[in-house]
Amino acid sequence: MIALVRAELLKIRSTRMWLGMLALSLGFTLLGLGFYIALAGVEMNGEAALPPVTDPATVRGFYAAASAGTLFMMILGIIGITGEYRYQTITQAFLVTPRRYRLLAAKLVAYFLFGLAFGVANVLVTVAVALPALAVKGGSTSLLDNDVPTILGGTVLAMGLYALVGLGLGALVRNQVAAIIVAVGWAQLVEAILTVALPSVGQWLPAGAVRAITRANIGFGGGGELDTLPAWGGAALLLAYGLAFAAIATFTTVRRDIT
Amino acid sequence: MILVEELTKHFGPVRAVDGLSFAARPGEVTGFLGPNGAGKTTTLRMLLGLVAPTSGRALIDGERYADLDRPVARVGAALEATGFHPGRTARDHLRVVCRASGIAEDGVDEVLGLTGLADAAGRRVGGFSLGMRQRLALATAVLARPPVLILDEPANGLDPAGIHWLRGFLRHLADGGCTVLVSSHVLAEVEQTADHVVIVARGKVVRDAPLAELVGEADGLRVRTEHPAELAAELDRAGGAVHRDGDLLRVSGVDAAGVGRAALAAGAVLTELGAERSGLEKTFLELTMAELGGDP
Repeated sequence: MIALVRAELLKIRSTRMWLGMLALSLGFTLLGLGFYIALAGVEMNGEAALPPVTDPATVRGFYAAASAGTLFMMILGIIGITGEYRYQTITQAFLVTPRRYRLLAAKLVAYFLFGLAFGVANVLVTVAVALPALAVKGGSTSLLDNDVPTILGGTVLAMGLYALVGLGLGALVRNQVAAIIVAVGWAQLVEAILTVALPSVGQWLPAGAVRAITRANIGFGGGGELDTLPAWGGAALLLAYGLAFAAIATFTTVRRDIT
Repeated sequence: MILVEELTKHFGPVRAVDGLSFAARPGEVTGFLGPNGAGKTTTLRMLLGLVAPTSGRALIDGERYADLDRPVARVGAALEATGFHPGRTARDHLRVVCRASGIAEDGVDEVLGLTGLADAAGRRVGGFSLGMRQRLALATAVLARPPVLILDEPANGLDPAGIHWLRGFLRHLADGGCTVLVSSHVLAEVEQTADHVVIVARGKVVRDAPLAELVGEADGLRVRTEHPAELAAELDRAGGAVHRDGDLLRVSGVDAAGVGRAALAAGAVLTELGAERSGLEKTFLELTMAELGGDP
């Protein structure tokens, strides 16, 4: 099993697709962070656009930007399995590992690990930009207060779990374009609406789980007023989504003839 | 040893493979022949556990492929030329297979050299020609030196030099004790390599015989002469079957020495004497067309 996971990690590293996903997730992180840096404590029409950096919620918002690119981890996971069907490399993969559930399990582990590494990269870049910005604007420069360890640690975990969820979804859908449309449409449209309209339902969705793990609301506004699961609950929820998709796929789409 | 028993596969109402049985033995190159759509690829994919049979069995050394321990070390397979990620280099493709199956990575450069890809090892497969992809598929198949090889149309996309090389390569492996099963829809490709041929049409075996037997049946001679009428009469007396086409005689039942003696007796001048090269091709067409219900 360890050999299979190492082979999957080599598969990811040996094409350049992951670099694109890393660039996109870092781009989203920096974009969100840029808004916070630009607007924190700045008055617009006589009102503060965002509370000043002395407000703990704003400090949390700075660091929560690290998790803005989680969707790209889901896409990375989706491509990790649908790409095998698209390029017909799935034939070779099943020749090497004819017990197909073992290949899927190895991919789940490998993409989780790769997602964690992406999370670390996003966190490092976020801290490298947010810390000096907070210092300049007179905010807290402690990485231990204001829930910062939870936000940053949660971001790393959320990225790993999102890659895993994407992999399970991709195994189920098989068609790359369809799977990505489902993921993006769900995250950007269905979830965004449900989170606001029905927060009691929203907390059980992937984005709600990320909010639970990182203890921060992605984007603007405080996360305090929304129904949110405990952090461990959020992590368990994402893991359950990924494993459930993968388990259903094992007994349906993954068993199909490879012609 | 490859053993296929009463193998059947239905795709909806289509019987792609219909009660197929044959064996491929160690030390032999077995040609798996048939027109396009005869069920060759489906049969090979069932052998390799990629397609689930509707009924019947396909065994490699007595086991189903999916039950083999470290299958890559037991069976080498090259199925289609397109199964590579275009953004991955040839060497990385082979390294992935090594890692996943627990084979030492030192063999990678060796098989790349063996298949003539040493110079392309670091290039992304997206830029490869069809022939280079075929070579990489072969390199993958022989990576772990397996005793059984299953190759689906391996000559597709190879240039004449590549086909010549492939023949020698397969011969060498079989002489070393490998079981080699190679499919083709072009008889000429396996004619010079195969020891045994299994001909399929419409999912059924129509002929399963040593190549020598088929060649023997199809054997005939082409004789061109300045005196066709005299020679034809003399060959007829010698017991040969003669089909005259202008100054060309197609002769069977008499060997080349017999033709020489007949020519001497008839005082006929020969301008050409050789084996009827299309004989085996004709047998192949007759066998497969008969099954399809058409005229040969």
